[in-house]
Amino acid sequence: MKKKSRFKLLLCTVLVVFVVVLVAETLIVKVQATNLRKEPKFYSPTLAVLKAGENVEKISSQAGWYKVKTSKGLEGWVHSSAVKTKKFTLLAMDKSLKTQATADEVALAGKGFNKQVEEKYKAKHSEINFAWVDRMLKIKVTPKQLEKFLRDGKLGEFGGEQ
Amino acid sequence: MRASKLKIRVSSLIIITVVLISCASIQEGVEAISKIRLSSSDKEAIVKTAKALRNSFADISEEEEYYIGRAVSAFIISKYPVFQNGALARYINIVGNTVAIYSNRPETYAGYHFLILDTEDVNAMAAPGGFIFITRGLLKRCNDEDMLAAILAHEVGHVSAKHGLRSIKKSRLIDAFKIIGLETAKKFGPEKLAQLTTIFENILGDIAEKLIERGYDRKYEYEADKLSVEFGTRTGYDPNGLLDFLETMKDDSSGASKKGWFKTHPSAKDRIDKVKKEVNSLKAVPQREAVRTNRFKRAMKNLK
Repeated sequence: MKKKSRFKLLLCTVLVVFVVVLVAETLIVKVQATNLRKEPKFYSPTLAVLKAGENVEKISSQAGWYKVKTSKGLEGWVHSSAVKTKKFTLLAMDKSLKTQATADEVALAGKGFNKQVEEKYKAKHSEINFAWVDRMLKIKVTPKQLEKFLRDGKLGEFGGEQ
Repeated sequence: MRASKLKIRVSSLIIITVVLISCASIQEGVEAISKIRLSSSDKEAIVKTAKALRNSFADISEEEEYYIGRAVSAFIISKYPVFQNGALARYINIVGNTVAIYSNRPETYAGYHFLILDTEDVNAMAAPGGFIFITRGLLKRCNDEDMLAAILAHEVGHVSAKHGLRSIKKSRLIDAFKIIGLETAKKFGPEKLAQLTTIFENILGDIAEKLIERGYDRKYEYEADKLSVEFGTRTGYDPNGLLDFLETMKDDSSGASKKGWFKTHPSAKDRIDKVKKEVNSLKAVPQREAVRTNRFKRAMKNLK
């Protein structure tokens, strides 16, 4: 009897770990930077900035948004277009969230069309000017500006129709 | 009886453990691959994996799309001068980002950015990743914010549906993925880098040809119009803004009709017919607001 219950306990433990690991879904930030937001809205206040490659744990989802928890334990919302679902999430059990790599990450890790390729391209094409591309990237619209623009213009949730 | 029950329990425990351990080994193997030098057979195996993982435009990563978009943009900017006005640039960027957050793809690698080109040509172009260009000639044809938003939403639609990346010849991608998959070092060696840069140039050529010379496939233009109606309406803009703009293109007798958007887009009449159907199928159509037209007019004073 003693033996039997020990086995039962072991089996249950293994199963529980297995299920917990399956349920906990890890998401990876796939854009250069995205905001962890207080509410599921683009103009919501920012709690933290998440960088490319950072892993977060999905808690729940709602109309294109994921409620997530960061490795520092911060909870907030990220938009689904800024993250991808991590493969092999099963392995979250024995490694910390940050040290994991999936097969496609290995194939891609910092490779592909990247800065190095751009530098080589620039060296071959001095007639192509990247200066304006960099200036273009500096134009940023803040969440506050977005909210004011929507509100003033009666757009989005501030519109009469919606 | 008890013994056989025990057997079942033990074996199921073993199976579960094996599954978990094998998963862990995949993980360790994957990590090891990234660290160690590889034999040629291992390399082949990696290439096979890389091939299995990446074989079409949909497998281009966000970061790669960004670098392709940067170079396509640099090419466009090398062809046209930039219209420099901070206030107008801010306005165009805020209208563009507003429709982008109501699009099917609000976030891209480095976000959406909009630039005005200083030419009388009537044109708008979108490079992969969210770099969007609109000419002074096109801006002059807009009467209000809803019209401008409809045009920017059409361009956001091209980015959202990855029409630029879809224009890349598949053989180029297969070649690129092969080289990328073979590379095990952190940086590309000179030979690989040269090969990959040549493919990169050809990819830019594929996209630039469509954007500037021939235009996207008609179906992509109709799709971008459809998305413009969808994203615009979701934002709260009157989707008839797109129709108003297309109407100005219909009976155009100016020199502009041989260039830019006229050359690279299907006829205005065909587009109007399709867009009308889209608009008519909507349950509710947002109305234009004077407050938007007023701020549009204030911003456009900077165009002169």
